[in-house]
This record gives sequence, structure tokens and C-alpha cells, in this order.
Amino acid sequence: MTEAVRISADLERAENRRLTALAGAAVAGMLVAGWAIFVYAPQDALQGPVQRIFYLHVASAVAAFGCFAVVLLGSVAFLWRGSLVGDRLGRAAAHVGLVFTTVTFLMGVVWAKPIWNWDPTRTWDARLTSTAALWVIYAGYLLVRRFAPPGRTAMRLAAVVGVIGFVDVPVVYFSVEWWRTLHPGPVLTASGGPAMPAPMVVAYLVTQLAVGFLCGVLVAVQYRVQARRDAAVARAVAAQLELAPAPEAR
Amino acid sequence: MRFAAAAMAVAGKDLRCELRGKELLPALAQFVVLSLVIASFAFDLDSSSGPRLSPGILWLVLVFAGLLAFGRTFAAERDTGSLEAMLLTPAGPSAVFAGKALAATVLLVACEAVLLPAMAVFLASPISPAVVATVLLATVGMASLGCLFAALAAQTRARELLLPVLTLPLWIPFVVVGGRAVQVAMSGGGFGAWSPVGQPYAVLLDFDILFLVVTSLAARFVLDD
Repeated sequence: MTEAVRISADLERAENRRLTALAGAAVAGMLVAGWAIFVYAPQDALQGPVQRIFYLHVASAVAAFGCFAVVLLGSVAFLWRGSLVGDRLGRAAAHVGLVFTTVTFLMGVVWAKPIWNWDPTRTWDARLTSTAALWVIYAGYLLVRRFAPPGRTAMRLAAVVGVIGFVDVPVVYFSVEWWRTLHPGPVLTASGGPAMPAPMVVAYLVTQLAVGFLCGVLVAVQYRVQARRDAAVARAVAAQLELAPAPEAR
Repeated sequence: MRFAAAAMAVAGKDLRCELRGKELLPALAQFVVLSLVIASFAFDLDSSSGPRLSPGILWLVLVFAGLLAFGRTFAAERDTGSLEAMLLTPAGPSAVFAGKALAATVLLVACEAVLLPAMAVFLASPISPAVVATVLLATVGMASLGCLFAALAAQTRARELLLPVLTLPLWIPFVVVGGRAVQVAMSGGGFGAWSPVGQPYAVLLDFDILFLVVTSLAARFVLDD
């Protein structure tokens, strides 16, 4: 094993250790959030224990939006400067954002079952529709990558979807909201302060921090997976080039 | 005005091709009429349910006809390899995109000229000027988005699959606002009969302007090989 290879292997091991430590911290954070949700936060007088879904539901929705904002920034960075880091960041954040959107959805369904009595005709609500659009748009973002010719073309086309998709989501949201909505309005940012007691706000903030940290760690792990994949492709291309005779020699 | 001249030249070329070849338009007209036939059997329409379900049928048929029309615009160029040639001209990718979007819009409007009378005949839908205005306004924005994603999907494998997946979520705003406006117009409301939230025509116009700006900015990155 040559000196250079050994050094890079050491570096990789160090990075793996760092990511493992971060993942452990994220798990610990989620356990604290679980304690805040189920033990610390008081029971809701009207909705009962079902209300405790709120904490994870809102926190993962915010995390998903954060991920899609990262996709937007990465896409802009790629289109503007050709930044490969931006592209990789977009890829990683789109994956994680889809996961958190799915979590938001599932939590919402579990909550809506007793509260709205889960009537499918009443569920074409503004939030639901625009979140479904969000999900499909970013699934399309990942599909473009799969179907486009690999390399710069895939990055360029996906970046365009990443930018336009982010523009579309508020548009869908407002267009649907204008005439029917069932989803509860803003609770935390309601005018005149949060419309819930202080312990609930604290529980929410703790959950939000934990979920945000988990989200960041997942993006970092995905980023590393994507970087490794890119490096493997680059190595394979380099090996092919070394095997093939140089063009001048032929 | 070089941009406008180049865009008009590209649009003219596309429309001339269509006029001489007569490929897309007859097929689209047939598709539209067939969809209405399918709808009348699928919904088991009679004289009372026909007008009631017309707004929904109108948008369903329009959306799928639009996907077919826009899918062809760039697929044909891709098959003959003529897109590269066009991009090599000094016209610039944005002008090429604008021209192709314009031609596709004209084709879709021609398609609507078949769809609306056919609906009036087959489904007894009340087609008023307000309905026509709504559909035309929605067509502009839908065409700009549809063409952008058609250009994008044409560069990938499985483009027939990717085009609807990418385009439909972005068309939701048009279907939402346009669908509501057509419902109001078909149930007897004129241009002024929109109460709860403001004029749908203004909203559609806003969407048109927004997506025209966004797609013409993005066209450079999609077509720039």
C-alpha cells in the first residue's frame, strides 16, 4: 500500500468516525425529543394524546422545507458556477427531504384519522395538496437524474427542476388555499404570540432542534454516499483511460 | 428585435412543418374527440350530468392533449437531430425555446378549437366567452411550462414517462384556478361573477407572467448542451 493511499484511507476512517458520532448524537437528540413529547408536554384538553403528533409533524415539515431550500441553493450554485458541491448537496438534500415529507404525511394521516375522521372527500385541503405536489416534484427531481445521460447533463437538468419546483410550491399552496382549507392555521406564529401553553412550545422547540439536527446529519451522510459514488465513477473512468491506448499511439 | 425575429422564424418553421406534414393536429383532434367519447361512457353521461361534469372533463382532456402536443415538439427535433443545428445558429437558446413554445401554443389552441365545440355538441356543455377566455389564459402558462419540460425530457431516456411526471405537478395551479373559473362560468356566471377571492382571470394572468419569466430564464440551461 502506497503512502498516499494509506493517508486517504486514514482520512476516510476519521470521517466515518465523525459521522458515526454525529449519528449517535442525533439518536440521543431524538430520545430527548421523545421524552419532551410524551413526558414533559401536558396533555391537550380537547384532542387528548393525539395532539402529541403535532410536535413531530410540524418539526419534520420544517425540516423537509429546509431540505428543499438546500436543493434550491445547490441547484442555483450549480447552474451559476458549475459547483459540483452544490449539485451533490442538492442530491443529498432531495433524498432526505423526501423522507421527511413522507414522515410529515404519515403523521398527518395518523392525526387526521380521529380528528377529521379521515374522510377522503374532505382531504383535498390546501396543505395536503401542495405537500403532495412538493413530494411529486422532488421525486421527479430524482427521476430526472436517473433517466438523464449521466454527468453534467443530469446535473444541469435536475438543477432546473430543483429551481422551478421550488417556485411552484408556494404557487400551488396559495392557489389551493384560496378556496378551501381544513388544515389548522398557524399555531406557533399566530398573531399575539403562540396559541399554546409554554411547556408545549418548549416541547416543540426541543423536538424541532432534534429533528433539525437529525436532518442535517442525514444530509451529511447522504452527501458522503454521493461523494463516494462520484469518486468511484471517476476512478472507473480513469482506469478505463489508463487501459485504453492513448489516441496518439494509434 | 433580433430575439423576436428569431423566435417568430422558429415558430413559423414549426407551423409550416405541421401544415405540410399534417401529422400532429389530426391526431390530436382525434384524440380529443375520442377522449370525450370515453368520458361519456366512463361517467355514463346523460343530459343532466353532462353539463355538470363538463368542467372536469374539459380540464382532463386539455391536460392530456397538452402533454401529447408538447411531448412531440422537442421529440421530433431530437429524432432528426435538428435541435443541435438550430442551437448552432446565432439565434440563441432562449429564442429557439420561445419559438417552439409559441408554435406549440398555437397547436394547442387549435386543439381547443376542436375540443370546446365538441363538448358543446356531445356533452351539451354551456361554452361561454368566459370559458374560452379562461382556457386561453391557462394555455399560455401551461404551454411555457410544458415546453420547458418537453425540452428537458427530450434529453433523457423514457421521455414519455418523465414529461407527465414533471409537468403535471407544475400545472396544478392552472387546473385549480382555471377549473374553478370554468365551473363558475359554466354555471351561469359571466366575467364578473367571481365572488370569494378575486378575479380568476387576473390570477391566471399572474401565473402566466410568472411562468413565462421563469421558463424563459431556465430555457438557456435546458437547451445549452
